[in-house]
Amino acid sequence: MTRKRRRLWILVACGLGLGSATALTLSAFSDSLVFFVSPSDLVKGTQNARTVRLGGLVEQGSVERSGGGKPVATFRVTDGANSVKVTYAGILPDLFREGQGVVTLGTLQPDGTFRASEVLAKHDETYMPKEVADALKRSGHWNPDAGPPPPASTWNTLAGNKPGT
Amino acid sequence: MTHLPFIVASYALGVAIPIGFGLAAFLRMGRARRRLAAIDPRARRGGLA
Amino acid sequence: MRSAVGTPQTGRSLHRFANPGQFLRLSGAVLPWLTAGAIALTALGLGWGLFFAPADWQQGDAVRIMYVHVPAAWLASSGYLALAVCSVLSLVWRHPLADLAAVEIGPVGAGFTALCLATGSLWGKPMWGAWWVWDARLTSVLVLFFLYLGHVALVRAFDDPTRGYRAGAILALVGVVNLPIIKFSVDWWNTLHQPASITLTGAPTMALSMLWPLLIAAIGYMLAFAAIVIARTRAAVLERRIRSLLMARAASDGGEAATSMLPQEGV
Repeated sequence: MTRKRRRLWILVACGLGLGSATALTLSAFSDSLVFFVSPSDLVKGTQNARTVRLGGLVEQGSVERSGGGKPVATFRVTDGANSVKVTYAGILPDLFREGQGVVTLGTLQPDGTFRASEVLAKHDETYMPKEVADALKRSGHWNPDAGPPPPASTWNTLAGNKPGT
Repeated sequence: MTHLPFIVASYALGVAIPIGFGLAAFLRMGRARRRLAAIDPRARRGGLA
Repeated sequence: MRSAVGTPQTGRSLHRFANPGQFLRLSGAVLPWLTAGAIALTALGLGWGLFFAPADWQQGDAVRIMYVHVPAAWLASSGYLALAVCSVLSLVWRHPLADLAAVEIGPVGAGFTALCLATGSLWGKPMWGAWWVWDARLTSVLVLFFLYLGHVALVRAFDDPTRGYRAGAILALVGVVNLPIIKFSVDWWNTLHQPASITLTGAPTMALSMLWPLLIAAIGYMLAFAAIVIARTRAAVLERRIRSLLMARAASDGGEAATSMLPQEGV
């Protein structure tokens, strides 16, 4: 019994040590664990001339596409406080639209624009049937370009009809 | 359906992997039971199977 | 019979389930129900998700991959938790069934983690635009997969199985730090992976018509995982009994035929 108890305490002590060591390490390396930086981070100028990932929302009305041999798109990525102009030559992902989250890989140019070599779409954790989204938009309860949708528990009453199963 | 190949591949994996593990475990259990019965006749009526 | 298996009959409450005969009887009664429930609920959940659940307003039908991906991800993490519990029972209480169960959980957990990674890739390519990115969530789940593989290799790496059990248990417990990292990676750091839709504290950010098939498929997968692990552990108990019977036979009549079939193992 005492030996079992001793083994248990040794295990608890090891667990506490390992856990706090991991927590310290993770908080120390927190800056390099992020997948992307925000436009505000980029504007602050710590990331100059390095290849970084820039993440944020595509600003309203900022998307311009030009055809030609290779499609080129310019848009602004914003985090609310700051926004950065991004140029990208290539095919944008299906989910790309104004108001949508994106993560772009590239470098900040001397003129303040961000030249991206890759654009990934980042979607949020909301899953909504098409009919519900249409009904919410029609009834004026939600504008997808303006912000996140209302809580899921209110969808049925706001949309005015039950989502089919 | 959009993106059908991706969906089909996901569901195929999602069905095949659990069934594969399940069948393998079932066959292994039968093999062990037969082998035990061959060397220990008591195992057959001992409620082990 | 019991002495041949070598289980210490201490009669303490925890060791009641260490009696392999007891375990075989109990698990034999539960297993058919577990299997039937697993097949029925998985078929219902996945069928519902694939054919009847609505398409997402922006992801379209690709959202159906969720009904495989999310249950597999939940099982990858909770399977590891089960492995860790077995490891504590093994290290502290020297529970012989926990040793066997830990050995059998490893490959199954690795399989479900691989399923999670593969379906995540198949979902990421059409939606995000990439098969794989090195963000904190994806990387920590890949680490989980390697922890499972490391455990599978380590418990089988020793001639003396007891040493393998101990080493595997220590590795499994060290790896537990990865579980909160997986869970909270999407909240602590910027990731491409979206945060959780279903949390213990908040309301789910998902329509009920999608939530139901997801939960049913998750319960089905959970039962399937349990049924597979129990069936494998039953087989392992029987195999250990075969080994000790052969060993006893070899010791009593010195038969060289039996010794040749016998792995070197102290049971």
